[in-house]
Amino acid sequence: MMEIDGLRKSYGDKVALDGVTFTVRSGEMFGFVGANGAGKTTTMRIAMGVLEPDAGEVRYEGRPLAFADRRRFGYMPEERGLYPKMKIAEQIAYFGELHGMSAAKSKKAAAEWLERLNLTDRAGDHVQDLSLGNQQRVQLAVALVHEPEVLILDEPFSGLDPIAVDTMADVLAERNAAGVPVLFSSHQLELVERICDSVGIIADGQMVAVGSVGELRRKEGRRVLKVAVEGAAPGWADALPAKVVGNDDGALLISTDDDQAVLAGAVAAGRVTHFGWQEPTLVEIFREAVA
Amino acid sequence: MNGLFLVARREVLVRGRTKGYLVSMIISAAVVAVLAFLPKLLGGPDEYNVGVVGAESAVISEALTTLQPTQETTGDEGPATVTVTEFPDEAAARAAVEDGDVDAVILNGDTLLTDGGVNSELSLIVDTAYKQVASAQALESAGLPPDQVAQAMASVPEMKQQSIGEDADEAGARLAIASIVVIFLFFMLMYPVMFVAMGVIEEKSSRIVEILLSTLRPWQLLGGKIIGLGILGLINVLVITAAGLIAASASGIMPDLPPGTISTLFATLGWWGLGYAFFAALAGALGSLVSRQEDANATITPLTMLMVASYLVALLTASNPKSSLAVVLSYVPPFSAMMMPMRSASGSVEWWEQVLSAVLLAAAVVGALALGARIYRRAVWRMGSRVKLMEALRG
Repeated sequence: MMEIDGLRKSYGDKVALDGVTFTVRSGEMFGFVGANGAGKTTTMRIAMGVLEPDAGEVRYEGRPLAFADRRRFGYMPEERGLYPKMKIAEQIAYFGELHGMSAAKSKKAAAEWLERLNLTDRAGDHVQDLSLGNQQRVQLAVALVHEPEVLILDEPFSGLDPIAVDTMADVLAERNAAGVPVLFSSHQLELVERICDSVGIIADGQMVAVGSVGELRRKEGRRVLKVAVEGAAPGWADALPAKVVGNDDGALLISTDDDQAVLAGAVAAGRVTHFGWQEPTLVEIFREAVA
Repeated sequence: MNGLFLVARREVLVRGRTKGYLVSMIISAAVVAVLAFLPKLLGGPDEYNVGVVGAESAVISEALTTLQPTQETTGDEGPATVTVTEFPDEAAARAAVEDGDVDAVILNGDTLLTDGGVNSELSLIVDTAYKQVASAQALESAGLPPDQVAQAMASVPEMKQQSIGEDADEAGARLAIASIVVIFLFFMLMYPVMFVAMGVIEEKSSRIVEILLSTLRPWQLLGGKIIGLGILGLINVLVITAAGLIAASASGIMPDLPPGTISTLFATLGWWGLGYAFFAALAGALGSLVSRQEDANATITPLTMLMVASYLVALLTASNPKSSLAVVLSYVPPFSAMMMPMRSASGSVEWWEQVLSAVLLAAAVVGALALGARIYRRAVWRMGSRVKLMEALRG
């Protein structure tokens, strides 16, 4: 379990983090979302010890996070970094050794990761000769080669093709299943919604919403009913104690405090083919939260 | 410690395998080897072929072969030897001169046939032999018995030579060696020091430093880089020195080197090590200030200037190693890294002077490493525009 507790950080007059607090539990996939410049990268860099917070701390298993702990973490920084003129297999193995693996073990692990990421035939190539997508795969292997206890990944999905996105998601889910807490940031909200257990939304250096995707949806006051009625006259809902907020492919989106009255009205208007709560998507929750 | 070792090993393996490193080492070694042969190539041959034909051939050839080389004819390379060939007739002798089989032919004991002239050394030898023979004949025709003539000729002692100042040849050789030591040190320092700065900037500009620093302490990353590139630099220095020494002994100039040259070369290795540690620490610190390769020149220019200044002042004072400028600067780090070996090669220092200067430089190295590590630690993860030196120092 990793706890981010009350992080504050300013760059001159600009406040980057203003009391950021959240927890990533063991085996939890935590999606960290926010607009550009909201403070995601700063938070993750502080968690990795690359940056010192002005106040607050990061705890791991209840203790303040120390350098020795971080050596067992896996990190993918926002700006990708690899040695451009080093062979990729050697590079992955080098990072394994830096994280404390033996030479033989890290070499073996590097080969396995290359196999897994379909890069075996490029093992002897220099990083600078790879496509951006393949460099990204190498970057992932570098973050994972030492079987980290915690993963902190800044925008791991950006710049990946759909196949690579799936591979990345599979790899993360697999580590997750092994009990590894995963904290990653992303702008791909549909993806976050799909694969994350929990989501944290940050805006202007403050956490504006934290919780499981379900919790965030339920917290939202603006749930709407989606009602489809066959053969109903236009404007059938106008007399009901409700407000039509939209139209989804013939079905009305209705905001109301009295769902039963809407149901009765719909039955009276015609044949009801669909009646249910329309849950807000993460995109909608996000827009609402950062507005 | 393990981290330090891993970083150093990576530098050696990755940088050491690049074509640039290997090719430049081979070229440098070849250039140094050629330079070691140069005095020989420019100094002219040690062996002359002289033909004799016609009257007086026997006498003159005996004079040529038994001629004791005088001081003037020995030069730097030891006595020259003369091989005499007798030709049956003038035509054959002329043909041999034209074909270059012999350097010159003495015709009838009084005419020198050459192909466009001979060098001064051979000319002197031939002239001496000719005058010896002619003098003996003149004395004999004046009525002296041949055995007395021989006795008289043999009793003329060689002219004594005594130098009041330093031996000019040796001083020249010392100046040459001092200059070579300075030039060699400068280039051998410049390359690895620049690699340190470039390596630090590469890590920062590629942002890999962020991952590295989550598993390594800054001092491990900087220290490992300095050690690794230092090992490569040392290999370079050793290979090139070995190439020079082997070529020098093969070309036969070793015995002509002034005394103490070899120990000077070994001491130079030590000066190189100290100088490298000093400049590399600063190069790492300056490199850590910038995040882009384009800013590399701007940040390391002050260091390059310092190195070039040390180099130039050492090179320019090599001709006057006893000047007070040379003596004072040979104790001032980092100038001493090139000044002291220059003075040592010039043969004008006591051992304790070298030790004192080395201790001072070593103290400066410790200071540079501490300062460099401090700047590096504070600046290396600050991305974006160039970090101001004072900001990095204050933290």
